[in-house]
Amino acid sequence: MLLVILPLIPFLGALVLIGMGEKVINMPFVASSIVLILGSWGLRGAFAGMPITYEIPLSGPFNPTFQADAVTAVFVVLAAFLWWAVSIYAPEYMKHEGRIRSFYICTLLTQSAVLGVFVAGDLFTLLLFFELMTVASFFWVIHRWNEEAIRAAYFYLFFSIVGGLFIALGLVFIRAAIGGVPTIGTGPATFLDPKFFPWGLALFLAGFGIKAGMVPLHLWLPHAHSVAPTPASALLSGLLIKVGAYGLIRTGELAGWGMELASLTRWLGPGLTILGTCTMLVGVTAALLQSDAKRLLAYHSVSQMGYIILGLGVGLFLGPAGGMGLMGSIYHIVNHALFKAALFLGVGVVYVGTKKTNLYELGGLWRSYPVTAILMFLAVLGITGTPGLNGYASKTMLHHGVSEAANSGLPLMIWVERLFNLVGVGTTASFTKLFYLMFLGKPKQEKITQGERWQFQVAMGFLALVMVTIGVRPNLFVDACAIPAAQALGMEGAAATAMGLSFWNIGDIMGMVITLALGITFCWVGLKTGLFHLSPPVWLTLEGLGKMAFCQLQTALASIEKLYLTLSTSLLSDLRARGNGLLLAIHRLDTSGTLTAGGRSLADISLSAGVLIGTLIFLILAYTYIDLGSYVRLPLSLMR
Amino acid sequence: MTDIILALLSGLVGGIVIALLPQASNRLRNTLVLLFSVAGAVFSWRVAGTVFSGGTIRLSGEIAGLAWSLQPDPLGTVFGLIVATLWLFATVYSFGYMADEPRQRTYYAFLLIAFSVALGVAFSGSLLSLYLFYELLTFATYPLVIHERNDEAIRAGVKYIAYSLCGAGAILIAIVVTHGWAGSLDFAGGPLLARGGLRPGLGWLLGLYVAGFGVKAAIMPLHRWLPEAMIAPTPISALLHAVAVVYSGVYGILRVVYSVFGHELMAQMNFSRALPWVAGFTILAGVIIATQQDVLKRRLAYHTISQLSYILLGAFTLHPWGLAGAIFHMISYSTLKITLFFGAGIVAKQTTKIRVSDMGGVGWQLPWTMASFGVASLGMIGMLPLNTFWSKYYLMRGSVAGGKWPFALVLIISGFINALCFLPTVVAAFTGDRDQLSREKGGNVTLMVAPTVLLAGIAVLLGLWPGLVWPGVEAVVNSFFIR
Repeated sequence: MLLVILPLIPFLGALVLIGMGEKVINMPFVASSIVLILGSWGLRGAFAGMPITYEIPLSGPFNPTFQADAVTAVFVVLAAFLWWAVSIYAPEYMKHEGRIRSFYICTLLTQSAVLGVFVAGDLFTLLLFFELMTVASFFWVIHRWNEEAIRAAYFYLFFSIVGGLFIALGLVFIRAAIGGVPTIGTGPATFLDPKFFPWGLALFLAGFGIKAGMVPLHLWLPHAHSVAPTPASALLSGLLIKVGAYGLIRTGELAGWGMELASLTRWLGPGLTILGTCTMLVGVTAALLQSDAKRLLAYHSVSQMGYIILGLGVGLFLGPAGGMGLMGSIYHIVNHALFKAALFLGVGVVYVGTKKTNLYELGGLWRSYPVTAILMFLAVLGITGTPGLNGYASKTMLHHGVSEAANSGLPLMIWVERLFNLVGVGTTASFTKLFYLMFLGKPKQEKITQGERWQFQVAMGFLALVMVTIGVRPNLFVDACAIPAAQALGMEGAAATAMGLSFWNIGDIMGMVITLALGITFCWVGLKTGLFHLSPPVWLTLEGLGKMAFCQLQTALASIEKLYLTLSTSLLSDLRARGNGLLLAIHRLDTSGTLTAGGRSLADISLSAGVLIGTLIFLILAYTYIDLGSYVRLPLSLMR
Repeated sequence: MTDIILALLSGLVGGIVIALLPQASNRLRNTLVLLFSVAGAVFSWRVAGTVFSGGTIRLSGEIAGLAWSLQPDPLGTVFGLIVATLWLFATVYSFGYMADEPRQRTYYAFLLIAFSVALGVAFSGSLLSLYLFYELLTFATYPLVIHERNDEAIRAGVKYIAYSLCGAGAILIAIVVTHGWAGSLDFAGGPLLARGGLRPGLGWLLGLYVAGFGVKAAIMPLHRWLPEAMIAPTPISALLHAVAVVYSGVYGILRVVYSVFGHELMAQMNFSRALPWVAGFTILAGVIIATQQDVLKRRLAYHTISQLSYILLGAFTLHPWGLAGAIFHMISYSTLKITLFFGAGIVAKQTTKIRVSDMGGVGWQLPWTMASFGVASLGMIGMLPLNTFWSKYYLMRGSVAGGKWPFALVLIISGFINALCFLPTVVAAFTGDRDQLSREKGGNVTLMVAPTVLLAGIAVLLGLWPGLVWPGVEAVVNSFFIR
């Protein structure tokens, strides 16, 4: 029952807000407070390994079922907390954006949908909430209703719709393969008809991958996340893309966590690893070249999702020994949500005062925004993986996972480990750049219309508090959340590998310190040489290609239609003309009795006749070819 | 027994009464129209109640030595219920839309008569009566198509009549042959031709039937009349050219496949393997052409062509799930398409805008209308809170299970093109200038918006709880696949 109530609370909140007319209260805060308390209290059993299930018994093909195991619990509490923190921040910020009521309504609806995805007990219910989430969050992206926002929102909507369609088709294939409704939280599916199973998984991968910003399906992400109002950006980057990751975890569950995969699904591990690595690389490279703070953060969402996908891939690849990869991913999902939300909120604070997000037009802002600068600095330390903050813990776990995979001797995995370190350097470089250009350096901004507000500081402060807590005591989360989650997914050996894991060994710390040092050096070189202003030609970037393809699509559709119309009209008119000509010619031949009929030679007439007869013969042949057998005897059989 | 007679008569009698009524006050006439429509709907529901609870209703006789019969089976009843229910919505919408139009008496008279005839198509128990009502439907709806009485309308009317009659001719020939082979035209005893098994000429016969009914089902290349017929008033376009008339063609093909040939015989015929491809082609070509249309009603018309082939595709998969998808799509598509057409009509009446490219800002004036339109658009893509997801899902499942998985892909691609087709319209409606739009205030807006919103709501309800109509779908599938 609780599982239905959780998504229902924000939904009812939205209804109340709609019913209240012009009067606006901070309903997201109320709703997410209730959800946070109710969720963390009600789901405490799930953390302890006692899943909850609930079913709404409807007749017919659709019985919505709900479940909550430890994975769900982690995601629900994370979502509720993030929404709660952001809704402290939102009212003050949205005074500058306008249309606060519609923003609240879609914030509530999106929260409802996101919670619904997490507590869904089968993939149909999940898809239901997944699609609702697309629609609700679409209004976030399009909030400003200017040209840029509309374009980004279109991008987002069409990609998401394709994602939904992929999942729907995947459901058809999976259902054909396993002969029942694919459920969540019940471990690997047993397939009766292996032909369709890998295809279904691949479609799920693509469908959830679109939401997760997986390369090359990430094209919508930087646009959508940078044009949305900042609180929405924080939630989009912090949580909505994690819904895609959640879907990938559950897809992995269908194939089976913690076991040697069957030969039909063995590609899943290496496949996800490669996709994750590409996502990391593309994201971080593009982020380095950005000058807009929000776009930089958006590209880093892509890059950090790469870490998460990579972890999942490694977890599947290693099978029973893949606990580190899986737990690292879940851990990183939580950490990334915290620091990415904080970073976006920080950039938003600066935007409110300066109306600027271009990094090269900002500078020296620590004087005007001392608290924000400190909180941002903590978030930067988090995302770069500095020991003592939360990013370090999850990146270390992921690194352990990748090293284990590399030890398996597969050349692919060895390369993945090298690239993993490289991406760490890139991340450090781009965040050094962000922080340096924004808060340090020479002040470039003369007028600052608004300084800090306590709401901003409180919201970011709560996020930072959790970050620091996790950073100082990384084992807390591992023991309380990551291990139960991995065990709920069927990773039996998870506790053995991670219980009492020591994060503070010298090797890991030194690795991170070297990465940080290299990153800062790289940033310094980049800023000095103007490397970060490099912009590759449009056709070389995936965005450019995607945009081109998108524009071409409409043109292609138009030309297909034109072709069809031309063909059909010309065929019709040609046949008609030939038929008329033939009739006319026969008529004249009949009356004049000469070899030329009314100016038309016999050759012309026979051509017309030939075309007509040819068409007829073609039709008959085509027909008999389709309808094999001796059906040409129709007239005979009719006479009988 | 009396129910079915009353259901069929209420429309006919109502039509005659309205036609004989002097140009009385609109209120009296509208009350009478509503009364007769409700009566027809109520009796249809009573018929449905009897049929779904396992009873049999049969009415039969002889004309010139040929037996005719009215005997609704589950398929016919589902079609009848769709017609009867949606007719009510369209009638109420008509009160709003036609409020300031000329020739209302003719309009309502033929609207009621067409109601009877459409129910007749649904409740027929034999090919002969099906054919008679099918022909009558052409004539009963012709005055509605040419309602505007201008050149364009007359031309569209001629095209409509010509196409329909040619199709009917093909059907007539096919019926004669069927009668010769099977000795009976009654559906009650199972598929007519199944007993004879494969025989030479069966493919030709199927081709004749599909070509004949395919005219009204707008299979490409027999679809040309449909976009032209959009000249009719919007309630007519919505009800007849998106649902009732075109469904009579679709229903005819379903009948041919499952009651005349039977799915076992169809599966043995080579020709039936080509049919899904025709449907698949129409699905994609129709929606692609739709994306290129600027006049909203034409766009909707081409989209209708595409969507009707979804139903045919489901029927041609010859698989229970495919058929279930087809039947469910008949129900769900009709609710959403009528919503779309109603929306287009409200916009045309209230702002005189009929082109998509002019519709900037319309959404701010007509928020409920455009919101319903948006919901219906999402349904056409096949997104979940809407009922069409389930029909699409079962169509895909039937395709995959019937070994025709490429058609699952066709449906997915079509869903995406649907998004390209409608979503820009919806977003554009909310992007233009909010204030600079004039408003004509034609028609009665409450009477138009209420049915629109209600239908969108029903679509969402059925999407969340498809089980509400699922027993009907199951009954149809069982009646053909389990004997």
